[in-house]
Amino acid sequence: MLSIESITGSIQDFLFANLPGFFAVLVQFALVGIFVISLFAVLGLVLVFMERKVSAYMQIRVGPNRVGFKGTAQTLADTLKLVLKEGLTPIGADKFLFNLAPFVVMIGAMLLMAPIPFARNVQIWDVNIGVLYISAISSIAVIGILMAGWASNNKYSLLGAMRSGAQIVSYELSAGLSIIAIVILSGSLQLSEIIASQENGWWIFKGHVPALIAFVIFIIAVTAETNRAPFDMAEAESELTAGFHTEYSGMRFALFFLAEYVNIFIACAIGATLFLGGWLPFHIGSWTAFNHIMDYIPSSIWFMGKTFFLIFIIMWFRWTFPRLRIDQLLNLEWKYLLPISLINVLIMTIIAILGWHF
Amino acid sequence: MMDATTVIFYILAALILGSGMLAVSTRKIFRAAIYLLFSLTGIAGLYFWMQYEFLAAVQIIVYVGGIVVLIIFSIFLTQTSGMDMPAALKSRKLFAALAVICGFLLTATQISQHGFVGSGIQAADTGVRAIGHAMLNTGEGGFALPFEVVSILLLSAMIGCIVIAIKNPERS
Amino acid sequence: MSFIKEYIRTVYRAVSSLLKGMKLTGYYFTHHKEIITQNYPENRDTLNLPERFRGEVVLTHNEDNEHRCTGCTACELACPNGTIKIITQFDVNEEGKKKKALNTFIYHLELCTMCNLCIVACPTDAIKMAQNFEHSVYDRSKLTKTLNAPGSKLMEGVE
Repeated sequence: MLSIESITGSIQDFLFANLPGFFAVLVQFALVGIFVISLFAVLGLVLVFMERKVSAYMQIRVGPNRVGFKGTAQTLADTLKLVLKEGLTPIGADKFLFNLAPFVVMIGAMLLMAPIPFARNVQIWDVNIGVLYISAISSIAVIGILMAGWASNNKYSLLGAMRSGAQIVSYELSAGLSIIAIVILSGSLQLSEIIASQENGWWIFKGHVPALIAFVIFIIAVTAETNRAPFDMAEAESELTAGFHTEYSGMRFALFFLAEYVNIFIACAIGATLFLGGWLPFHIGSWTAFNHIMDYIPSSIWFMGKTFFLIFIIMWFRWTFPRLRIDQLLNLEWKYLLPISLINVLIMTIIAILGWHF
Repeated sequence: MMDATTVIFYILAALILGSGMLAVSTRKIFRAAIYLLFSLTGIAGLYFWMQYEFLAAVQIIVYVGGIVVLIIFSIFLTQTSGMDMPAALKSRKLFAALAVICGFLLTATQISQHGFVGSGIQAADTGVRAIGHAMLNTGEGGFALPFEVVSILLLSAMIGCIVIAIKNPERS
Repeated sequence: MSFIKEYIRTVYRAVSSLLKGMKLTGYYFTHHKEIITQNYPENRDTLNLPERFRGEVVLTHNEDNEHRCTGCTACELACPNGTIKIITQFDVNEEGKKKKALNTFIYHLELCTMCNLCIVACPTDAIKMAQNFEHSVYDRSKLTKTLNAPGSKLMEGVE
């Protein structure tokens, strides 16, 4: 059967057979880089289109339906427009930091791609600190946002950046704690081992109610961390025009826009890996025939399906709930999510020690 | 000829030192914070280079995600932080340069005179599991006591923060 | 313990209200027949505008080219932004009496906000709101319209 694993394997064999080791590794680096960048571009196009369609149907509209087949080329046209637009730098801006900020945000998102298992044995870097690496790197994005807000020399941008900073720093806690709940269950930080531990059932089913609570908290926290409505305080169109990226235009704005969607993808991919078994197919106990049919679906389809399901849920949030005020936002984190997830981790530890999970 | 890892080391070292230099020499306070960030990220990169991933991740979480964000927040909340800071006095610059050169020479001579003989001790297992076991181990080579002492220190710091930040209903 | 009870109740209430909202948007997402927007340029012939949609002010004429406007200028006075300008003249009737009558009903579409105040003010129901909305022209002066048709006169019996 043709799978991504066999393709990458044959590329590896071909390179090492025809090139000296050092150059083969170099070519592999280049290939991985091209893969990540093209994945970014494709994700940006697909997710923006998906968002616009989902929002349209939820608001009883049709959405983009003109360019291309049923409007599918709409985002391509929008990207072309953004590329052709002039990238202005305000006179009062700190030019170096202003131009650097979108790249910092983007590089943060790119680094997060590394440990994600896209399919069976397809992973750029199976680092042994897996989820810790992810929570570490995701804190770089906030620096990019703070940089953009400051360098724009604009009050709206600064306010947006400060809100975003407060928000990301506080929601990182409950996101981390809900990840830790799963780490306790699987006994490893490495993403491949976490998936391997779900061979006989996904953690959301095996981990009883605490896993479910951790999952809900994780989804809420990553929605906040990626600055999406109802937590889009950093942008808050009606209050801050566009928050930290008010002054950005053209390609640099497109980078921020793209980074937002890529971050959503990564957050949902992590969620799918931790709670929904990553690329593992869906199995029900001893239904051998059913399990066999499920095994025929390629692992990459499973992974993408789960990830896009979570992305859909996050979009569903966005187009249902009104934006929170900043004090409500911090109340939600410090008075509800954090205590609940702390208690949840405690319960999870007891479950893991006593072996109550399946 | 240098191999690739050496080249990467020198790139990282240049990044760390260069951004460190810029951090102290720039007159824009926000830029100083950003250069400091680059320097600290470079150190994390050095840990990654040594394949000590756990420490690298902790370096990023603590310094990039915590301390630099804190510094940036305090800069945001400071008045006139957008203006250039006054240039340092000439004499101060001179003495700072002297101190740096002396320190550099001292370290350089120390390093060049030290033999660096391989000790033959097995390198520590840097896996997360090994670190975790060592951290909570009460037996030989365990760090349970320092770990608990540090957690008590952090707890007292947290309680202190709450005491400072809490609203006194009588006074307000 | 009542504190914890209250806390849990708050969480429960919050979650259930959020789910209620998600249920509604989820319903709309899956039921495409609920969509209320229309495919405008394609369905121009079958366009179905809501009853209360206001496009522009028109002066109604019957088949004998008669309108109901007496030239009382109530609409002109009611208009908040000077959209309507009524030019009146004095007709002399059979009895030799002078009577105020409409000469030209000038309507500045480019200034109109479709607020409906003129329609409400009109004592003789002479003007009404039409649903035509394709107003774009290349010359702004084309938006200044004369509403009374040439040669039209006041309908019998309208005072």
